[in-house]
Order: sequence, then C-alpha cells, then structure tokens
Amino acid sequence: MVTYTERQAGSKLADFVADHAQVLSIALFFIACLIFFGSTTSTFLMPGNLLNVLRQAAPILVVAVAMTLVITTAGIDLSVGSMVALINALAALTMAAGLGWVLTVPLMLIAGALIGAVQGWFISYQKIPAFIVTLAGLSILRGAALYLTEGYSIPIRDAAGFFWLGRGTFAGVPVPALISILVAMLGFVVMARTQYGRQVIAVGSNMEAARRVGMPAKRVLASVYVVSGVASALAAILIAARLGSGSSNAAQGFELQVIAAVVLGGTSLMGGKASMLGTVLGTMTIAVIGNGLILMHISPFFTQIVTGTIILIAIWMNTRLFDRPWKLRRKSAS
Amino acid sequence: MMVSDIVQEGGGAVPPSPPILRLKGIEITFGSNQALRGVDLDIRAGECLGLIGDNAAGKSTLSKVMSGTYVPDAGMIELDGRPVRFATPAQARDLQIEMVYQDLSLCDHIDVVGNLFLGRELKRGPFLDQPRMLQEAEAMLAALEIRIPRLTAKVEKLSGGQRQAIAIARAASFQPKVLLMDEPTSALAVAEVEAVLELINRVKARGVAVVLVTHRMQDLFRVCDRIAVMYEGTKVAERRTEDTNLQELVDLIVGKGGH
Repeated sequence: MVTYTERQAGSKLADFVADHAQVLSIALFFIACLIFFGSTTSTFLMPGNLLNVLRQAAPILVVAVAMTLVITTAGIDLSVGSMVALINALAALTMAAGLGWVLTVPLMLIAGALIGAVQGWFISYQKIPAFIVTLAGLSILRGAALYLTEGYSIPIRDAAGFFWLGRGTFAGVPVPALISILVAMLGFVVMARTQYGRQVIAVGSNMEAARRVGMPAKRVLASVYVVSGVASALAAILIAARLGSGSSNAAQGFELQVIAAVVLGGTSLMGGKASMLGTVLGTMTIAVIGNGLILMHISPFFTQIVTGTIILIAIWMNTRLFDRPWKLRRKSAS
Repeated sequence: MMVSDIVQEGGGAVPPSPPILRLKGIEITFGSNQALRGVDLDIRAGECLGLIGDNAAGKSTLSKVMSGTYVPDAGMIELDGRPVRFATPAQARDLQIEMVYQDLSLCDHIDVVGNLFLGRELKRGPFLDQPRMLQEAEAMLAALEIRIPRLTAKVEKLSGGQRQAIAIARAASFQPKVLLMDEPTSALAVAEVEAVLELINRVKARGVAVVLVTHRMQDLFRVCDRIAVMYEGTKVAERRTEDTNLQELVDLIVGKGGH
C-alpha cells in the first residue's frame, strides 16, 4: 500500500520576509542611521532639523519616484539634473518676462513632459540605449540652461504664492515635503495598484512577453521618460521657489543622488524589480546621512566620500546578503 | 458566423468539417533563408493537429505565422472562411488565437495571478481588481487541475513545470478558438506531461482547434487526430493518426518518405 502525503505550505512570515527582503534591509539601515546620528549629535532628532531634512529631500524624492519607473523598465535617465537646471532657469526667465507664476508652473510641467517625450521617442521608437540618449540630454539641457541665462542667476521677484511652494508650511510641515509625500503616495498606488504600473513592470521584466500579450510596450517605455520629465520640472519649481532664483548651476550631481536613492531602495537596474517604499527609504537615508554628517561637524569635503562609501556598502550588503537570506536560515533550521 | 463557401475536396469516409483556420501558400524568407516555401494547412475545430519535423524544418516559424509573431511574405490566412491579416500577436489574440511560446513569455517579477491576466487585467475603476483576479485565477487553475501552492508568489520562484503550466493555463483559459502550443511538454516531468496531454484532450473536447508543435513522438499518438510533417520549409505529408505509425513518421521527418 502506497500512501501519499502532501507538502505543508511554508509559513506566511517566511514568504513575506523573502518577498520584501530588500525593503526590510534598507528600513533597518535607515533606522540604524537615525539611531547613530540621534545618539552622536544633540540636534539631529529635534523636530526643526527633521523637518529641514524633509524639505531638503523633497526634490530628490519627487524625481526618485519617477526614476523608479524608469529603472523598472531597465532604463536610466541621466538628464534629470540638467532638466532641473533648465526648467529652473526657464521658470525664472518666464516670470521675469512678466508671466504670472500660476501660468508659469503648468507651463514648466508641460515643458518637462515635452523634453521627456523627445528622449522617450529616441529610446523606445528609435532603439537608442537610454544611457546614450539621456547622457546627450544631460549635456544639451545643461548647455541650454547656461545659454539662456548666460551663467547668471535670475532672481524671482514679487511672487509670494510661488515662494510658499518652496518655503511655506502647512500644518507645521514644509510645503515641498508635503508635495513630495503626495508624489510618493501617488507613485506607490500607480506602481502597485494600476494597470499602467503593471505594464511598466511587465515591460521591464520581459519586453517581448508584454508585446505578445498586447500591451502597448513601446508607448509604455517612452512614457516613463515623460513621467521623469514632469517630475524633474516639479523638482525644479520646488528648488526655484525655495531659493527665489533660477540658475543654470542648480542641481549639480542631482542625477547621481536620485539614482543612488532608487538603487539603495532595492529597485534592480536590470529591470522588472521595483519598490516604491524602498525608494522613499533610500532617499531619506541619503538625506539623513548628508544632514547628520554636517551636524557632526565633519568636513563637507569628507561628506561626499562618506556618502559614496555608505551607498556602495549598503548596496553590496543588499545584493550579497539580503538577496538570499532564507537559504541560509533554512539550512541552519533543518 | 459565416460559413465557408469553399468546396471541400476531402472525399474520405467522414467528410471533414470546414476548417476554422486555413493557411494557403504561406511563404516567408529571413535574409537568404527561405524559412517557409508555400505551406497549405487546414486546422479544424475540436481537433488536434500535430506539427512535426526536424530542427529548422519550419514548424516553429509556421506556428509563429499563425500567432501573428511573423507576417508572411506571401500566402493567405483565413479564419472562419474570412481572409484575415494580423501584424502583431495582439491582433491574433483578439481573434481568439492563443499561443503558448516555447520560451513561455512569462514575466518573472510578476506574481502568478498577474501573469495569468497579463494584458487582460481586470479593473475596478482606475485600479486593478486584485481580489477578483486571484479568485478567478484559482478557478482557472482548478479547472485545468494545475496545483500551485501560492498564487501571489513571483513566477521566478516557481519550478520549470509550474511555469509551463501557468503559460498553458493563460492561453487555454480565455475561450480560444485556436490554441497553438510550441513544445509545451519539453521541460516537464512525467506527471506534468500527463497533465498537459489530458489538458489538451479537455480543451479539444470544448471544440477548440489545437496545434501541437513537438519533438516527442509518443505525445502525438496520445492527443493528435492529424499529423503534418514539415521538411525544409514545406509540408511534405499529412496523415490521420490512426493511419500511420511511428516508423512512417520518422521516415517522413528525415526525408526517406519516398517522395
């Protein structure tokens, strides 16, 4: 007589941890940073400083949410920093020419979308690698910003409502922080709960499969660069509103911070694997490290070295250790 | 529904039903390689057609012509007696022609439910209706007696056989008229092959026309009603399963058919 038995289903907790290993690891790292800076400096955990961190992280978070979509399709957008500089300068020039800020803001968002659409067209329909197209964009857009402003910083005057976007508070929270949180929530819902988010993941995971099941694969691939253009324009507006001027030198190295935040959050550069929550945590981790090192009175020149090193180590741990922790655990358990 | 006005020249004991999908003089060339050199093929409802041949004989190419992946250079495709043209797999899918690809065409980073509904997501308002998709996915897999422990697991975590089962379930579950299968059993274990063959018989009984591209000769005799043999981009022979045997098919495949 042969008796057949079936395997037991694994524990729900193990499944959950395995599915979210990377987000959990960056969350732990973020909490460790909070504890470290909270205990080594007296000012870090003061509400005023934490709100300041949120305000400074806002432009990075807004673009990182869009960059998560781009990287999920296995693409990259290196032009976001230059895009911020160009839109930043354009906004100041437009307002200096007499157009009210209420019209300028939507106009700038449209400009961002158009520039993103041009890049997306080259990448998706002309099949030029995203790295090349956006590297060219990085150069062209920064050059355009320099050409338009001739290198000068353009002041923005008499636009109280505009400045409120960058400097104001609502219920005690800085307005740019609120805007960036709204964008992050929108990004989370789009990615996890909408058909568009599903299409973005499918295109990044298996482009040919997405095409075969009838998804508009090329349009989806182009669209993420439009999203990234709009997000860059929004970040540019937040920066211009905070500084009260538009400058072609704004957002130097911005694209690297954004990409680091997204990758730190567990989104794979190979495409398909995305975590919006991870992106939020990655952005906040980078912002907290930058802020904490300043509060510890470490030389600002040293800050860049430390930030880069920490990003490298965190991502190394993410890929080497947290990618397969459950095999280790299971071996020791059995 | 339109009735085909083409007179059948069958003349056998049982007059064959009008074909649901008919290919006439299909030619396709890739560079200097004539992949298909004028292939005629009829596919009938409720019948399984086996498509066999050596590597590079053109059987995969032919199945991809039927699924809209390749557009033929010459020839005609008729569906229900009407000439059709599909430039993309999506258009063929809209006409209820489904294909199980040899590479499975699954998205590794999406869960089982998401893959089953890939490109056909159920929505409630602007959002994905995940509870209903999960419910229907369970019903879909249960109807085909496919067992997957956790439907919210990412497909990358599953075994080869489970992945293949999902690809087949996806194609078979949305009321196809024609179901094309490119090597559906090549990566499967014994019990899974049995399940797939049973599944093909069940799908056939529902009146679906099944085309099975395979290397596994023993599968042909289990499920196929007719067998078409491809050789160097042409269809060299077509046999009813009960009128042929393994040796004849092997001879036809290797070119010793005596033509």
